[in-house]
Amino acid sequence: MLNKYSLQRFYKGWQIFIKNPLGKTGVIILVVFMFMAIASFFVPLIGPMYDPMTGIDPDIRVSTGPSLTHWLGTDNVGRDLLAQLLEGAKVAFIVGLSAAFFSIVIGTLVGMVAGYTGGLFDAFLMRTADIIMVLPSLVILLILASLFGQFNIWIIVFIIAIMRWPAVSRVIRSQTLSLKHRPFIEASRVAGASHLRIIFRHIMPNVLPLAFLYMTFRVTAAILVEAALSFLGFGDPSQVSWGMMLQWVWKSGHMFQAPYWLIPPGVCISLLTLAFYMLGRAMDEVLDPRLRKEGQS
Amino acid sequence: MKKSSYILVKLVEVAFIFFVILTVLFFLFRLSPGDPISKMVDPMLTPEDMAHLIEQMGLDRPLWEQYIIYVKNFFTGNFGFSFHYGEQVSTIILDKLKWTILLFTTSTVLAAFVGVFLGKIAAWRKGSSLDNVMSISALVCYTLFIPWFALLLLWILGFKLGLFPLGGVLTPSLWVGNASLFIRILDVLHHLMLPLLTLFIINLGSYLLLMRSSMLSVLREDYIITARAKGLSEKVIRNKHAAQNAALPVITSVGLSLAFSINGGALTEQIFTWPGIGKELIFAVSNNDYPLAQACFLLIALVVLVANLIVDLLYAWLDPRITY
Repeated sequence: MLNKYSLQRFYKGWQIFIKNPLGKTGVIILVVFMFMAIASFFVPLIGPMYDPMTGIDPDIRVSTGPSLTHWLGTDNVGRDLLAQLLEGAKVAFIVGLSAAFFSIVIGTLVGMVAGYTGGLFDAFLMRTADIIMVLPSLVILLILASLFGQFNIWIIVFIIAIMRWPAVSRVIRSQTLSLKHRPFIEASRVAGASHLRIIFRHIMPNVLPLAFLYMTFRVTAAILVEAALSFLGFGDPSQVSWGMMLQWVWKSGHMFQAPYWLIPPGVCISLLTLAFYMLGRAMDEVLDPRLRKEGQS
Repeated sequence: MKKSSYILVKLVEVAFIFFVILTVLFFLFRLSPGDPISKMVDPMLTPEDMAHLIEQMGLDRPLWEQYIIYVKNFFTGNFGFSFHYGEQVSTIILDKLKWTILLFTTSTVLAAFVGVFLGKIAAWRKGSSLDNVMSISALVCYTLFIPWFALLLLWILGFKLGLFPLGGVLTPSLWVGNASLFIRILDVLHHLMLPLLTLFIINLGSYLLLMRSSMLSVLREDYIITARAKGLSEKVIRNKHAAQNAALPVITSVGLSLAFSINGGALTEQIFTWPGIGKELIFAVSNNDYPLAQACFLLIALVVLVANLIVDLLYAWLDPRITY
């Protein structure tokens, strides 16, 4: 799969991608957040006071503004806001990337099987995809949370993935349909390859790059849904996420008194989702030459 | 296919999908921890009332009978009694529905009109600084975290500047007294402004981006070149030939992006304490008011499906290239 030709193609795609202003801005923002996420591993090492969840400054019992010991201030029980913000970056990356990854896996499998088998089974899978596509994921997560109690972060990730595969499967299905009658597929069928072997050995390598390009939009959606769920108080109580920080500032009644607490988490959520969205748009332009401006080839 | 049979097929499809959702929800309620009686019958009721309700909802019968009664109850609008309000769930929901409809339709229609208009201009001047500013602002609007943006508006416009009330839908003192109808309408509008502004800005971004890309692809069509060759004025080409055709996909997107707007609507209602279905659902979920949560969920699912049906039909009616 990784021969010289595909490396060259990848390099050419990257050149187009990085020349695109959206792609460039997106990459820069992402790198900043990645540093934040990495920093979150080192902050608790400074002292127990800087643990995002349990670290409490013994001198502080109310929410205070930025100071030398707490660069962004503290929340109402004396926890460091910067430590929470960095931890939130880590959680956002974990949630966004893993939910997107799982939805890509499900979407690719369903799309390949639907496109390859065709007929009634195909129709059934695609109708299911249509239904799931129009359902509001936050509302579904809420009703499930009410029935099954508080979820941990991985169950939330998994439910988001289940709600988000349909768009991927549509793309993969149409790609599979166009591959199905290519000579090399016909040849392997004549040579006696089983359906499973054709799907996984011959179709999958050809649709996988496309699937991963569609991953960025899924990341945006997953981060937003997890943040909204945490904000409403149904997130994983053992994780400090940006949505959770907003839930705390709101529920503790500090939203009108503590702008240093209210503003950073929201800016971070919006910027990170914006960055992933920009990456997606830029990748679209790599894939679809019609979207490029004249003069860029 | 004829038009009437197309509509019929679509209707049957929607009815079937809704039935599937209804069934899945029924089994989810039975699969979740705890018995269904504790989920549908308020533990605070007297034993006689409890027995009556269990009988009415068939909770002591075998599963398949429960299911039939459940479906029957749904079609007769009997969702049981809310634990919190102690009232028929259907009355509560009908009361909340009007506020959600008011907020939702005004924000969607306004955002769609303004978004289509601005998107048209952005695409027409592609690459100009005006286009760049509009596209980037639209991107930012689209990815804003809704609850945070709502809190920010509430803090700045409501708390700091005191321009708008901090929540609710009306000022009680006005409604108890004998204020005129005009004053009361103004009062509701005053309360509507902040949630409306939130949803408007969020939705505006996606409509603008959609209209822009749709318009750009229409502008590459041959009939635009033909229109130019005929010597039509640029304004006529832009407004009649390009924009009218480009707006069609935007209409379909209203149906597809409905899920997104419903999520946003629920969050907005929650923050501005706007007494709609979304806030009610969040309230019911937080307080384990299962009958209310179930009814809110089914109503939202029904609205989503019907809206998609309407969009499908509208699209087929607006675009003469689509044959039934």
